[in-house]
Amino acid sequence: MTERKTTHFGYQQVPVEEKAGRVADVFHSVAARYDVMNDLMSGGIHRLWKRFTIELSAARPGQTILDIAGGTGDLTARFSRIVGPTGKVVLADINASMLKVGRDRLLDRGIAGNVETVQADAQYLPFPDNTFDCITIAFGLRNVTDKDLALRSMLRVLKPGGRLLVLEFSKPQSKLLEKVYDQYSFRLLPFMGKLVADDADSYRYLAESIRMHPDQETLKGMMSDAGFVDCEFHNMTGGIVALHKGIKP
Amino acid sequence: MSDPTFRAGFDATLETAINTALRYDPGSRARLSKLAGKVLGVNLTAPAINLFLVIDDEDDEGGYVEVHSRWSGEVTTELSGSALAFLQLLRNRDATPARLGVTVRGSSALLAELQSILRDLDVDWEEPLAKLIGDAPAHQLGTGIRMAASWLKDALGSAPKAGAEAVSEEWRMTPPQAQFEAFAEDVAGFAQGVDRLEARIEILRRRLDGEEK
Repeated sequence: MTERKTTHFGYQQVPVEEKAGRVADVFHSVAARYDVMNDLMSGGIHRLWKRFTIELSAARPGQTILDIAGGTGDLTARFSRIVGPTGKVVLADINASMLKVGRDRLLDRGIAGNVETVQADAQYLPFPDNTFDCITIAFGLRNVTDKDLALRSMLRVLKPGGRLLVLEFSKPQSKLLEKVYDQYSFRLLPFMGKLVADDADSYRYLAESIRMHPDQETLKGMMSDAGFVDCEFHNMTGGIVALHKGIKP
Repeated sequence: MSDPTFRAGFDATLETAINTALRYDPGSRARLSKLAGKVLGVNLTAPAINLFLVIDDEDDEGGYVEVHSRWSGEVTTELSGSALAFLQLLRNRDATPARLGVTVRGSSALLAELQSILRDLDVDWEEPLAKLIGDAPAHQLGTGIRMAASWLKDALGSAPKAGAEAVSEEWRMTPPQAQFEAFAEDVAGFAQGVDRLEARIEILRRRLDGEEK
């Protein structure tokens, strides 16, 4: 009998082919209240983390940017302003519900013309080689089934000299902060999820998936292994979140 | 390296403050929108902070300012100096960058236009107040705030002059200006006399050297 390959879904082990569907269910469930919950869960600090991501992206007018797992379009909106009418921003997400919320929100804010939305799997990006000047993936990589495959896919569609920025939850740098953060994630977060979105399980998955995600040095190593050079990371808010940057040679 | 979250928070707060003030002064927003695409780089030496003010405009709303800690595009004007010098540059109508030790690179026209907009900034604080507490109370409160601000401005404006007079005239800690100027003139005259004497000695020395040969 052949053993089925498994991967983690939070703290559970699930067959590899099931993970994407389960993650999709989580995000279908939270899409409508994703922004409210983000603000509530992070106290609004997620906006500052994204702001620093924009700063480090070195995006310029006329450039082409891919915002993977762009969800409700926070980064896309800001990039759209920076690249201007001569540039282009592609908002990509594997989840149709998140993409729909993002597209509607961008249109409501009058952001159009230089923005495209694409439903795409980060592991198999549907773009030609050497297309983008910069790729961002904010709070998305930990939900991808095969992260190495996704990183290689991103490398392929980046232009030489292009930048990949991975904004993701990571490992707190102090033991005390880690304890406080654990209490918050496993007790308060599912409670808030239940209260605001009536969905404790999805928010419990979010907390578990954060713990299963590679720490700062491991992710940096994965980016180097995928072929990125000059890889570096910046810890934010004591390492609760880290921004990794790599360049396509 | 400090946590980038703090710096991002500083930039976001500054950006919100600038754009909130602009929202209640449509005249300034309209003037700012003409500068869309221009970038002002500010390099503060004390405290050491680099920031870039990127001016852009929204079609119907007028100009707005984005604050960045890094900017890889073209910078229209770059200023470098202490925070104190920048404050004086913004406050004082007669202040010039050179006099305050602020160095300017690039176009000085952008700086002049921004200074002009800032000095003419007339924020109508009554509008947001009226939304919260109603028109009549907002007007009363606004009048009170304007009177208090005017008094404070006069008081602060005359404070340096009054302080200088007290130091020199009352406490005699420094000489009065006229006395100091007369002393400075005497010193300058004496220095010139010494220079002339030195030149004469040099002429005599050369003459003596010539006679000996």
